[in-house]
Amino acid sequence: MLKDLFIPNAKPRPSVFLTMVAVQILLLLLLWLFYPLQLFPTLGEVITAFKDLVTTQGLIQELWASLTTALGALAIATVLALAISYLTALPFFRPIAYAASKMRYLTLTGLTFFMALMVSSGHQVKLSVLIFGATVYLVTGMTSVILTTTQEEMDHARTLGMSEWRSFYEVVVLGKLDEMLEVVRQNFAIIWTMITLVETLYQSEGGIGLLLYKQNRYLHLAGVVAIQLVILATGALQDYVFEFLRRMFFPYSALTTAK
Amino acid sequence: MADHIYKEPVLTLRDISMQFGGEVILRDISLNVLNVVRPGVNQGQVVGFYGRSGIGKSVLCRIIAGLLPPTTGTVLVADPQRPVCPGDVGFVQQRYPLFNHRTLLDNLLVAAGRKHLPAEAKARAEDFLTRFDLAPHRRKYPTMLSGGQRQRAAIAQQLLCSEHLIILDEPFSGLDIAMIDEVKKIIMEVTTSDELNTVVIVSHDLATTTAISDTLWLLGPERDAAGQCIAGATISKKHQYNLAEMGLAWQHGIQARPEFVQLIEHLKEEIRKT
Repeated sequence: MLKDLFIPNAKPRPSVFLTMVAVQILLLLLLWLFYPLQLFPTLGEVITAFKDLVTTQGLIQELWASLTTALGALAIATVLALAISYLTALPFFRPIAYAASKMRYLTLTGLTFFMALMVSSGHQVKLSVLIFGATVYLVTGMTSVILTTTQEEMDHARTLGMSEWRSFYEVVVLGKLDEMLEVVRQNFAIIWTMITLVETLYQSEGGIGLLLYKQNRYLHLAGVVAIQLVILATGALQDYVFEFLRRMFFPYSALTTAK
Repeated sequence: MADHIYKEPVLTLRDISMQFGGEVILRDISLNVLNVVRPGVNQGQVVGFYGRSGIGKSVLCRIIAGLLPPTTGTVLVADPQRPVCPGDVGFVQQRYPLFNHRTLLDNLLVAAGRKHLPAEAKARAEDFLTRFDLAPHRRKYPTMLSGGQRQRAAIAQQLLCSEHLIILDEPFSGLDIAMIDEVKKIIMEVTTSDELNTVVIVSHDLATTTAISDTLWLLGPERDAAGQCIAGATISKKHQYNLAEMGLAWQHGIQARPEFVQLIEHLKEEIRKT
């Protein structure tokens, strides 16, 4: 049983695997507790900082504010990216998708300045930067998914008498919706990277990014680690929710994955 | 009285040529498949289609299925004959593609729904599930089916919405002897269920395919007077075999007959020469 954990491609029992994960986390915590690094805050300091952040600095409210902004931006970016990616079926729109994909190389600082000139409020600047940033990454991932469409798949739809648009809808839109959700899940992390940066630039809106910035500025390393761990846990929860949605709406999706 | 007669054409290839980037792949292919009529039998047509790997069989199949316009020439189908459109000819490709995001029943319904109203489409899909021994798997997704079930599902899907023509690309590839018998049974069932049903089998399994065919096509390059290969493969007159006329069609145990064995050896030799 235990030896399964060290055999390539072995399939240990779920109970064995979960026990292994719990033991690994416990070991990590014990190491942290009894052998703290000189520069790294101790476990006790991080827990104290976390309590302080929650009770006196509104960590939960700031996290919620950032999360709702991030989800809103992701929803709009997903719709935009899907539209741009699906339009690549028409040659006329391919340069737009290509350009959108390449725009992920633009720097965020330059973008915020440009966005600030275009929209009025700080919230709108934050939202528009996030939407832009997420869209260009999503377009890159989504067009890659579309490009995996094979001649065989399209021919299959055509031999059933489907028109070109109907074939595209059946094979690319419906057939790859599960993969698009996976692209969204993977790129959600980009939004967290961007939101902390944007919140630092536009401080009037608050958010967990601003909280992190303040902890950094005053060298509260325990607070920094506590916030990072909160973001990490939120990200892990997001991944779980996306995975759950994928299994619920696209049950066929997991069937082709190697186990 | 003759045991069979030929009537109207069900498939006509007229002067088909195909070039990719100036390279001639196929040239001057002209042939037709006629509706063969046998007294007391609902007899469809089975064409065995041979040729070396990479010679252009798949290209010709895609042209016949209306998926690829030829550089020159026309493919005519149906009665009265008209140029082929995608959807007229069923094409079961080698890996038996199905819509992986739909259940088996949905796969058949989406095909049946192309030609029939919802109630009739449902009835036809259910009928095909039963006929192809797939009824217990109706709620499964394609990735949950075995290779044989997937193949039967792919054939059923194409039959539900194509006219009378269906192309099977390598239907016997990688199958064990029991599965080969099962696929042969399905082909026989398809071709005997309607007088006009016509199955073109692309295969490298000469003995199995020839045993159930009434016509053979052999695609390969011709040689000029100097013995040099002419660019582009074709199906010349001498490489169109009418097995019915040769007395080698529609017979049980045909594979044991010396004439059949000789024909297979001859085909092998012809393929080697190309």
